[in-house]
Amino acid sequence: MAEAATQIPETPLFDRARSLKAYQLNKMAMDLGRPENREAFKADEDAYLDRYKLSDEEKAAVKARDWHEMVRLGGNLFFILKISAIDPTPMTQIGAAQAGLDHDEFLKQRLGK
Amino acid sequence: MAKIIGGIGTSHVPSIGVALDKGLAGTPDWKPFFDGYIPGQEWMKEARPDIAVVIFNDHGNTFFLDRVPTFAVGVAESYNPVDEGWGPRKIPSFEGATELSWHFVDKLVEKHFDPLVCREIEVDHGLQVPMELFFGRPDKWPVKIVPIWVNTIQYPIPTPQRCWEMGKVLREAIESFPGDERVVIMGTGGLSHQLQGSRAGFINREADQAWLDGIANDYEKFREMTREDYVEQFGSEGAELIMWLVMRAAMDPQVELKHKHYYAPASLTGAGMVVLENAA
Repeated sequence: MAEAATQIPETPLFDRARSLKAYQLNKMAMDLGRPENREAFKADEDAYLDRYKLSDEEKAAVKARDWHEMVRLGGNLFFILKISAIDPTPMTQIGAAQAGLDHDEFLKQRLGK
Repeated sequence: MAKIIGGIGTSHVPSIGVALDKGLAGTPDWKPFFDGYIPGQEWMKEARPDIAVVIFNDHGNTFFLDRVPTFAVGVAESYNPVDEGWGPRKIPSFEGATELSWHFVDKLVEKHFDPLVCREIEVDHGLQVPMELFFGRPDKWPVKIVPIWVNTIQYPIPTPQRCWEMGKVLREAIESFPGDERVVIMGTGGLSHQLQGSRAGFINREADQAWLDGIANDYEKFREMTREDYVEQFGSEGAELIMWLVMRAAMDPQVELKHKHYYAPASLTGAGMVVLENAA
């Protein structure tokens, strides 16, 4: 299954490899479901991120709000979306970043707007 | 014995909840979407269910990757909305139909399913939004609930065929439940959407329409499809549609399609619903 499914073009499924690789990244994001952690993230992002064993790449991707890179590194969108609750980013903007399109092009090409 | 009075298939897109919270339901982007649910709400009012069984997936809000149940059943007395990052939504908590939940758990295990049984747990938009779409925003929900979680996030997700089999056990559980409760079954998720990877924004309107047309009485092909087929046709997150199969399998082989609605895009998603009734 995992092998077959990853062959669907441009479609990263959240499989064992991703889950194992980006566990800390996703855990950091999951924990933003608690208000005290959101406050800590807002107050001192570096210090909050340092609570988790993130790689340099992961940390840089979070700090840059690079949604494409976070997913490439194994982040799952449902977890990392919690970052967009702190630093408001529309879902369509995050989608555009995944697709590598600018926002207007994304709305037009993908959503028919 | 309790009675199945209908089956609902519906989207549970989180932006629907946000649109309601922000009072955007009447705006041009959203009005046609919400208007299409009015017949569904009227049907629900008329049908007077006592219990709603809601099949949905958590979206990294209640379950983390430290423990991922393939199937979970709630047996709690009540379920609060979970904090998804913006604080818990200000909607009433949901009262649990604990007796039916436990009865369903008994039946599942008897039939060789092994669910996680949840005594204390919160619910995310996957359950909230379908309830709001069909019951509006009451001060108190008019039904008790049986929540069923299906893992659609971390692979391996269950097969469509396994979802179908669980639906058959659900039917048996409801029909052998001592009581006269009227039960509506809500299979939720979809329709086509993909949020990750460069195919993000993928919507397949033709496949969505075929799904809504076929789920009533031309469903065999959907039951036979693989998980890969679902991802390919409906997008990586659109594979949530396997949860409608639990509902469909719990209904009669032939049903009446009472209502159908489709609108795209709702946020990044093809969205819509069906209302089914057993024919007899």
